[in-house]
Amino acid sequence: MIATIVHTDELLQTVAASVITGVGVTFLFSLGIWGAGQFSELSRDKRPVAATAAATVGVLGLLCVAGAVVTGIVVMTQK
Amino acid sequence: MSSDVILVIVVATALAFDFTNGFHDTANVVATSISTGAARPSVAIGFASILNFVGAFISISVAATVAKDVVDAEVITPTIVFAGLIGAISWNLITWYFGLPSSSSHALIGGVVGSAVAAAGFDAVLAEGLVGKVLIPAVVAPILAFLVAGTAIGLSYRVIGRQRPGIVSRGYRYGQIVSGGLLALAHGTNDAQKTMGVITLALIANGTLGAEADPPFWVIASSATAIALGTYSGGWRIIKTTGTRIIKMDPAQGFSAQGAGAAVILASTHFGFPLSTTHVINGGVMGSGAAKRLSAVRWGVAGNIFVAWLLTLPAAALIGGATYGFTRIFGSGALGPVLVTLMALSLVAAAFTRRAQRGAPVEAAGA
Repeated sequence: MIATIVHTDELLQTVAASVITGVGVTFLFSLGIWGAGQFSELSRDKRPVAATAAATVGVLGLLCVAGAVVTGIVVMTQK
Repeated sequence: MSSDVILVIVVATALAFDFTNGFHDTANVVATSISTGAARPSVAIGFASILNFVGAFISISVAATVAKDVVDAEVITPTIVFAGLIGAISWNLITWYFGLPSSSSHALIGGVVGSAVAAAGFDAVLAEGLVGKVLIPAVVAPILAFLVAGTAIGLSYRVIGRQRPGIVSRGYRYGQIVSGGLLALAHGTNDAQKTMGVITLALIANGTLGAEADPPFWVIASSATAIALGTYSGGWRIIKTTGTRIIKMDPAQGFSAQGAGAAVILASTHFGFPLSTTHVINGGVMGSGAAKRLSAVRWGVAGNIFVAWLLTLPAAALIGGATYGFTRIFGSGALGPVLVTLMALSLVAAAFTRRAQRGAPVEAAGA
């Protein structure tokens, strides 16, 4: 009875989606910034392999952010 | 004929409510971007208006909740919807006049519930929908935004901790263009849908639409336009008072607060939960502030929001019920709603004049 009134499933999905996207997107974006910062520092120190690795992590983080945003909007429009 | 007159009044009143919703909420949507220097005020406001407009088109789940899950559409008449809108607008005006933060969304639902109860008794209220889709999400969502923003900024500080401040600030400012845009989109979709839902409810009550109908395109387009125009108009007022309601935070905090707010509002919208977007955004801002320094949180504001939660629904319901009772004195025709509209316009003009003479309120009502 209480579960029916509370819409437990939908509420839990809302909580899960909010936590995953809210925390996940901010974390991935931070990785993007970390990658950019490390790339610039390591390039200055003439460490091209490490710099490329950092840049790759950063770019992947930003790509994941872009993917999450697009996926979110597509999911919104499909209901 | 008289029911059509009432319907026109209801649609105009609902769109006016939608406009004021956008007007009041501009500060919440753009303040973070402006405060951290991520966007110039004029750009932030123009961007927010456009995305408010676009957001109104991406979902109709919340509109369906407002139209079908809160009150029994079978017993609703356009006059009941009208009285509910007057209840919401009156409560917003009262709280605006006295500088109390309140939720336009809760006021709208409270007003409609109150007028429905006055007209058809408690059987007219769908308790399951009201509790499960409105009251519980209203409590959960701001707390969720607080926790999500706090966790997100905590993680971010760990990741970027040893980076040079310049690149970090610049990066998050760019990011805020996206997070601020998503927040405006989320605000547009959740808040505009409440107006769509109310207009749809009135159209169903009038027999213009079937009981299970979705909002027609003209309802979606006009609600989108009203909230976008409200946001744009409110924005120019905000530019003049920039600094008074802006919260100081760094770009990383701004990004996490906006991201958390957008995530919570969009996820809730997907499941048809009508939220107070103001409360959610404030929850996100407080969460990102608390993660850095607990004393950064304006606990007084949090207390005021809590009191507003307790008061808004019953107060708007009482006014909505009383308004319905008053309109019934003049029968079931259009005379009652017309008289109430004229009285409401006079009161609004008097309140604005008096407020202007005494100075601006501390806080405006939010959605």
